[in-house]
Amino acid sequence: MCLRSSSYTSPKPCKHLADYKLRHAFNGYDSLQNCLKTTPIGRTRVDNHNTKIPRCNFCNGYQGRLYICLMCSSISCSTHILLHTQSKSGHDVAIDIERSELYCCLCCDQVYDPDFDKVVVSEQIKGLCPGRSNKRRRLDSGMELDLKKSKRLIAMRDGRAKSCYPLGLRGLNNLGNTCFMNSVLQALLHAPPLRNYFLSDHHNRDECKRRYGEKLCLLCEIGALVSAMFSGDRSPYSPAQFLYSWWQHSSNLASYEEQDAHEFFISVLDGIHEKESKVRNSSKDDGDCQCIAHRAFSGSLRSDVTCTICGFTSTTYDPCVDISLNLDTVNLSAAEKTGLSTLSGCLNLFTRAERLGSDSKLHCQNCQELRDTSKQLSISRLPLVLCLHIKRFEHSLIRKTSRKIDQYLQFPFALDMTPYLSSSIVRSRFGNRIFAFECENSDSSAEYEIFAVIAHSGMLESGHYVTYLHVNNQWYKCDDAWICEVDEGIVRASQCYMLFYVQKLLYYKANKDLSCNASVESR
Amino acid sequence: MKHSVNRPPTPDGAEDQGNEPTLQEIINIKLIESGEKERLMELLRERLIECGWKDEMKALCRSYVKKKGRNNVTLDDLVHLITPKGRASVPDFVKAELLQRIRSFLMSAAL
Repeated sequence: MCLRSSSYTSPKPCKHLADYKLRHAFNGYDSLQNCLKTTPIGRTRVDNHNTKIPRCNFCNGYQGRLYICLMCSSISCSTHILLHTQSKSGHDVAIDIERSELYCCLCCDQVYDPDFDKVVVSEQIKGLCPGRSNKRRRLDSGMELDLKKSKRLIAMRDGRAKSCYPLGLRGLNNLGNTCFMNSVLQALLHAPPLRNYFLSDHHNRDECKRRYGEKLCLLCEIGALVSAMFSGDRSPYSPAQFLYSWWQHSSNLASYEEQDAHEFFISVLDGIHEKESKVRNSSKDDGDCQCIAHRAFSGSLRSDVTCTICGFTSTTYDPCVDISLNLDTVNLSAAEKTGLSTLSGCLNLFTRAERLGSDSKLHCQNCQELRDTSKQLSISRLPLVLCLHIKRFEHSLIRKTSRKIDQYLQFPFALDMTPYLSSSIVRSRFGNRIFAFECENSDSSAEYEIFAVIAHSGMLESGHYVTYLHVNNQWYKCDDAWICEVDEGIVRASQCYMLFYVQKLLYYKANKDLSCNASVESR
Repeated sequence: MKHSVNRPPTPDGAEDQGNEPTLQEIINIKLIESGEKERLMELLRERLIECGWKDEMKALCRSYVKKKGRNNVTLDDLVHLITPKGRASVPDFVKAELLQRIRSFLMSAAL
């Protein structure tokens, strides 16, 4: 357990708490250790080993918040706690019995002390059984790609082009219900790590052909696509060669029917990875894979399954290239609730502890029996590029029907993923504690900026995908062959299906290099 | 817990209520002893999260803190702010479910 205050601000103690610490140091806290009782789901209360239930010394009440004085162990309710501290000098600090949280009677407010929390958390951990050790995965975020080199590869701009749109914006012709492909390609090709990778010629097509012959290579196809997009030619491009290559890779999806954009996205990443693992002749698991698809999109999800009887938690980690979210269509009781679905609502739903039904009991290693369990997901490692997929298409195998959920989802342009990290989620299980007890890698930032939105309109069978791209502080709508500037309000109001965010630091660097006025070196 | 030498004498209040505990107190004691109270509290917490009540209370607190300023708000302020609203906005189906649980507990405890 480490004490890391950098990512979590420690509030200053009030002067009464500071006084108490000066005079009594850890004496009170240490003797508290024997009186803490933890429930399996992580609440810790103060238990005096009394047979009687705790009651306020002044009014004999047993309801509401009860506090136990750190100095003399007398119990008072929230109404009378002030009386206690007034009658006894120096009895300023008390502990909330139900929650094991510090309270300053004179400030009438909750106070925080890392030393106190350390004691409580260590008792909590002792009370619950520890999960598997956390394998630290370092994400190689140092993608120092040579952008000067990428600029040299861009041909001089076509003088006939009237628009001064940023480089890389070019329409894609619809080859027959291929808007699902066009929309994803627009987003992928403008993802900073991928764009830089291909513009820097990290996958050299000539060399690839020399080494592996004319065999299918999705990376070559994407490279050709990137060159075409950034060539300066503004006339719409037909990605026929790419489509053909992709059909060969995902033959089960090869048809002229409308496909699901998300499915296409996954299959493209898969195709890139496959080629890479053939090249390196390695079968590294997705977390350590160095192919461009994984370097950009790969993150790690943590799943905690807790026995509701004994608290034993089993933790597993799974790599992921995106996060699929259910819409938070929550029925709220109060009249004033507008029923607005938000991205943070969906993310909260995703990371919420869920009781698995009694018909799906799992075997608890500690109890050696089938038990009711609670499962909670969190993000243990964030990717460079975060793809959030909103599950709007419901396929019911039982009823053999599919339907689309049209509910509007509000999403932010700037996203802070900190509350959904494993460190935040697991910390919150221990109540209002103020320090991180898992040494998470805090080098990579949790702040993201949006750069692409894939929106779907229409019905399940006959819908249309468009992509909105954010380049140089301007939003552009990419509707197959047509690119136009749009107001950010249009983007916010769109029915989002896939959201693409990139880590903030990368975002600002990427936009700096793509500015309209950057000089382009001629060949 | 550390027993200070200066521990106050047991106040009169404790002895003053009369010898008979009220029915409510008896039920409460039975609930706690059997562990049922803890289970009911957990069930209640789950339901209140699911129906969005907790998020509503959080939002209320946030807007209050924003209005007053982070350093001018105490825990007591927030509790006094949301207690009446909180009690009033518990959905009926949650109340009904818990009452039903308590009822069946009482029947099984044969009070």
